[in-house]
Parts: sequence; structure tokens; C-alpha cells
Amino acid sequence: MDLLVQFIIDAVSVGGLYALTAIGIGLIFGVVGLVNFAYGDFVMIGAYTILLTIGFYWPVTILIAAIVLIMVALAADFVAFRPVRLASPETLMIVSFALSYTIQYSYVMMFGSLARTVNFLPAMSTNLEILGIRIAGVSILQIVATIVLTGALAAFIRFTRIGYQMRAVSENPTMARLVGVDINKVIAAAFIASALLAVTVSVLFVAQTGTMTPFLGLNLTIIGFVATVIGGMGSLVGCALGGFLVGFLTTLLQLALPADLQPFREAFVFGAVVLMLLLRPGGLIMLATARERI
Amino acid sequence: MKNVKAIVAGVTLAIVTALPAAAQEDPIVIGVASGQTGVLGPWDLAGRRGAELAIEDINAKGGLLGRPLSIVVSDTKSDPSLGPTAAAEVLDQGAEMVIVACDYDFAAPAAMATVAANKIVFSTCAADPKFGVQGIGPLAYTMSLASTAQGTMLAEWAYETQGWRSAYVMMDTAIEYTKSLCQGFRKRWTELAGAEAISGEDTWNGINDTSIAGQISRMKPAMDKSDFVMWCGFTNNGSVLRQVRSAGIDTPIVGSEAMDGAYWTDAVPGLNDFYVAVYASIYGNDPDERVNEFMARYQEKFGEHAPMGHAVTGYAAVEAWARAVEKAGSLEVEEIQAALDSFNNEPLLVGPSTFRPDLHIDLTRPLLIMRAVNGKYEPIGRFAPQKPAEPTF
Repeated sequence: MDLLVQFIIDAVSVGGLYALTAIGIGLIFGVVGLVNFAYGDFVMIGAYTILLTIGFYWPVTILIAAIVLIMVALAADFVAFRPVRLASPETLMIVSFALSYTIQYSYVMMFGSLARTVNFLPAMSTNLEILGIRIAGVSILQIVATIVLTGALAAFIRFTRIGYQMRAVSENPTMARLVGVDINKVIAAAFIASALLAVTVSVLFVAQTGTMTPFLGLNLTIIGFVATVIGGMGSLVGCALGGFLVGFLTTLLQLALPADLQPFREAFVFGAVVLMLLLRPGGLIMLATARERI
Repeated sequence: MKNVKAIVAGVTLAIVTALPAAAQEDPIVIGVASGQTGVLGPWDLAGRRGAELAIEDINAKGGLLGRPLSIVVSDTKSDPSLGPTAAAEVLDQGAEMVIVACDYDFAAPAAMATVAANKIVFSTCAADPKFGVQGIGPLAYTMSLASTAQGTMLAEWAYETQGWRSAYVMMDTAIEYTKSLCQGFRKRWTELAGAEAISGEDTWNGINDTSIAGQISRMKPAMDKSDFVMWCGFTNNGSVLRQVRSAGIDTPIVGSEAMDGAYWTDAVPGLNDFYVAVYASIYGNDPDERVNEFMARYQEKFGEHAPMGHAVTGYAAVEAWARAVEKAGSLEVEEIQAALDSFNNEPLLVGPSTFRPDLHIDLTRPLLIMRAVNGKYEPIGRFAPQKPAEPTF
């Protein structure tokens, strides 16, 4: 029983960051229809901002990282995405790839490609043992952050004026514009929200790993994107569930695969994802709007 | 492109103008076609700088065959597909020998192009024995100690010097190096301590895994019956070791040269009981004074510490080739190759080095084992593999 509980805790610990990343990607996809491959690079920028401001009291460090990321997200929207907003989704995706590479290699130029390390919030990485079950403090925070932020975002989208407009833009941008919704403002709000999610991932990532490279966003984005797909594109709860599911599959396969097959673990994880999508093409939580698009 | 040419011209000019008056003939050109920037940048830039220092030393003694040495550099940006172009660029500028990247996969394309042009190619520190006759061709050499031999040495050191009898093995599955390192360790460890001497084994993916919570849950109970953890890792070390130590696992951990460098240790506050086998200490406390002098010169010339001990492999690549040219008495490739193949414990900065006609990577050179005490590295001593397994291809 203890082993099972420990396994579930470990799986949730692995999935926590994926879930948070997936919500950020899912939010932008839901509102703008943009698959933003540069999202992980926002997380990376947040991590390096923490590195540069580590001397400050930690809330100040987090605040600076949040301000920087909001500015970066707005600048990305203004410079890269707004000019091509009416282009096809493929074009938007390619633009996000280009933005991702630009950010990554700018950081290689500034900081080099070698890992940089920082001991940020060391108390968070301490492990707690409760009735023989071990969990890292940072994992608890990841789980709490995922639940709280998913709930807060859902409430924001459901109950606020700008959230209401976001849903309108998401369902029918042309009609939303016709009835007077300022699309640029709504999309900027979505980018700000995704930047706040990104800074949460940055903080928890750096507290957990203490390590960063300019390429750290790449893997997060890929897994976050897979999580949004299996969760159901556009559904925030689905995205979070998708992230935890990838964490669960990774932990299960790490445990269950024989030693010879462990180097190929990712093939099994993504194979399982494909299988799941064959059985449930719309993802775990399929939205009505998404169904119409299909 | 302009920038690359400017850098090449600048480096060439700087080195040639630093020559004593004795060497006024046309320089012999050494090419560098490796990742001066990008993922492999820290290793390849350090290797290239090591090569520059070797060239300075040789020129200060009157050059090679009475001619000065110069260096030309082309950056592959750590993109293997740019390797052949980079190699062609330095070969076009008259390179007699080309130095390529510190990793088999990154180095192979540039190395193949060099060998195709019938020139000798050196990798600074590709540890895969395929970097040589079998994988690239008979003109390819690497200054690394073979990855399997590194595993052998660590097993022998743990068993004989430390008196440890039970190992827990952790292996990063993201690249081949760590797999063959662990393979070498496992083989020798079970020969020495018996098949039961491995208390547990697990893997992780250094590129993909941000959390190794599951592995830690399995590792922790096994630590009671483990004297140490053999850590076959190469990247993301700060991240995974932070998680291991934060979980209260204080068992000694043993790693290889891929974990050299202080750049990741801030992630693990007060790192203790971590042992790492390196080519050279970058901290000025190497038992070999020649290495300390090299590191001091590196810092003086380039304005920063060498990021890891691999810098000496770049020096050694030039040193080895120049030694072979001297023995051959000419720049004839076949004669240089024969001279290199006859190296038997040739004393180089990286340590006594041996090549064979069928094996262009060393199997028996000692590495320096260092111990982290509160995040600072102290040297323990140099240890050589006693019974390394023959590489299989």
C-alpha cells in the first residue's frame, strides 16, 4: 500500500511541471488558436531572470521575473504574432518556432550553452516524510499551484468581463470583433496570463533542479504540448490532467520496463499517447468548440 | 562569415607574430573544425584554446621541422551537419591536421571530411572507441580515455582503494557514452566483487527528465546495503544530484569526466562525498605541476578559468601530432600515422598515451580522481585502468 501511495506521489511529482506548462500552452491555444512553441523559452527566460536577480529577497526576485516575462510575452505578441494574426495556423506555428530559436540562441550568445546553476529557495527542495511516504516540498507546491492556477484561470475566464471576451474570441473571432470586442486587448490579456503561468513554472523548475540551460524550454514545450493534445486542446482542466498523465506514464514505465528497454522509455510513453488518441481523438476532455473545428 | 574570417585571421596573426625570429618560414597550419559556440561550445572552445597554448609552446622552441605552427578555426556551431563545411574551410586554408569536436556524434562529419582529404584528424575528447580506425578511418585519433576503460578504472578504484563492496548503479540513457561507461564499470565491478555486489540499478534520461522522484524512491531504501552509487551521467548533473541529496541520500557518489567542472555544483549546496575522475584539475591543485602551469597560462591568456579539465586534451592533440611529425621527420601522412601508432605510454600533458594500429584511443591512461568537500574539489590521485576490456565494434 505504501509503495502504491509512494508511486502515485512520485508520478504526480513528475507530472506537476508538465501540467503547469500544458495549461500555459493550452490557454494561448484556446484563445488565439496559436500553438506557441516559444512558450518553454518564456520559462527559460524566467529561469535566467531568477539567476540574475538571486541576490534579492526571493519575493522581489519572483516579482522581477514576472514583470520581465509579462513584457517578453507582450513583446512576442506585438512583434511576432500580431503581424501574422490572420495567417494560417501553420504560419503562426512556424513563427513560434522562429521565435523559439531566436530566444534560445540569443541566450546562448549571452550566457553560453553550459548549464548555469543557482541554489534558489533551498527550503522548497527539502523532502518531507509523512507516515513513511516521501515527497519533496517543491512537488507539493507544484500540485497546489496546478490546482489553484487551473481554478483561478477557469474562474477568470468564466466570471470576468475580459474572460467572457476571451471565450467569445475563442469561439468566433470575427463575430467577437463585430460586436465590439477589442481582440488585441483580449489576446494581450491571454499572453499576460500565460506569462504568469510561465513564471510559476520558472520558479518551481529552478527550485526543483537548481539548473538551467538556454535549451531547457524545448523538452518542456514538447511534453507540455503533448499534454495539451491528450488532455483536449483548449480545455484547461484537460491540459492539467494531460500533464499529470504524461508524468504517470513516465513513472510507470520507468518502474515497469526491463533494464534493456529503459533507454527506449520515451518511445513507449509517446506510443501510449498515440494509442490513447486513437481511442479518444478529442483528448480526455473534448470541448464543443473543438469538436466543431474537427 | 566575415566574422569567422576575421577571427581566423586574427588568431593566425596573433600566433604567427608571437613567434621567435628563428621560425620565419611558411607556417604549418593546424585546423580546428569544432563547435566554438552552441551546445558543445564550452568543451570545444576549451580544447581549441588548449591547442593554441600547445602551438605557442612549440613555436617558442623553434617550431616544428623548423617551421612555425599557426591555427585556423572554423566554427561548426555545434551542428554536426556543418562539420564537413567547417573541415573543408580549414583544409582549404592549408590545414595539415584538423582538430574536431569532443564527442563522436558531433565530430564524425568533420572527421570524415578530413580523412577523405587524406589528412590526420584528432578529436580532443570523444570517448567512444569508434572514433578511430573502425568508425572514421585509419587517420582518426582521439585523446580521450575510452569510456569503457573509464568505467573499469572507477570500479578498480572503488574496490581496491576505497574498499567498497556494494554498488548501486544509476545510468543516464540519453547518450551512448554513459551506457558504455556503465557497461565498463559493471563488467569490472562484478569480476572484482561478484555478481551480487550490485545492490540495485536504475536509469533516467538526462535530457528529458526534470524530476527523478520515482528513481529516488527506489534508491533510498537500497542505500542501507550500498557503499556507493556509480553515477553514469553526463548532463543535468546539478539537477539530478540536487534531488538526490535533498532526499537525504548521503551515500558517496562516483562520476566520470563528463561530470567535470564546477559550473553545476551551486545547484547542490555543500556537495560532499562526490568523487569524479577528470583529465586535469582546473582548480590549481593538480598533483602534476605541469597541469597547474597550463591552467594558470590558460587563465592569463584567455581571461577566465578553463571550464573543465578537457582543455588539456586540446593541448595534447597538438602535442601528440607534433611529436609524431618530429618522429616521422616529415609531413607525410602515412609516416605520421605510423609514428602515432607506435606511441607506447608517450608522455603528454594529458598523461602517458598509447595508440595501436587497430585502436586509436587509449585504454590505460590514468585519470585524476577528485573529491568534493563542501562544494570544493580536492585531488586524491591519479589512477589507471588495470584490466580494461577490449572495445567491441
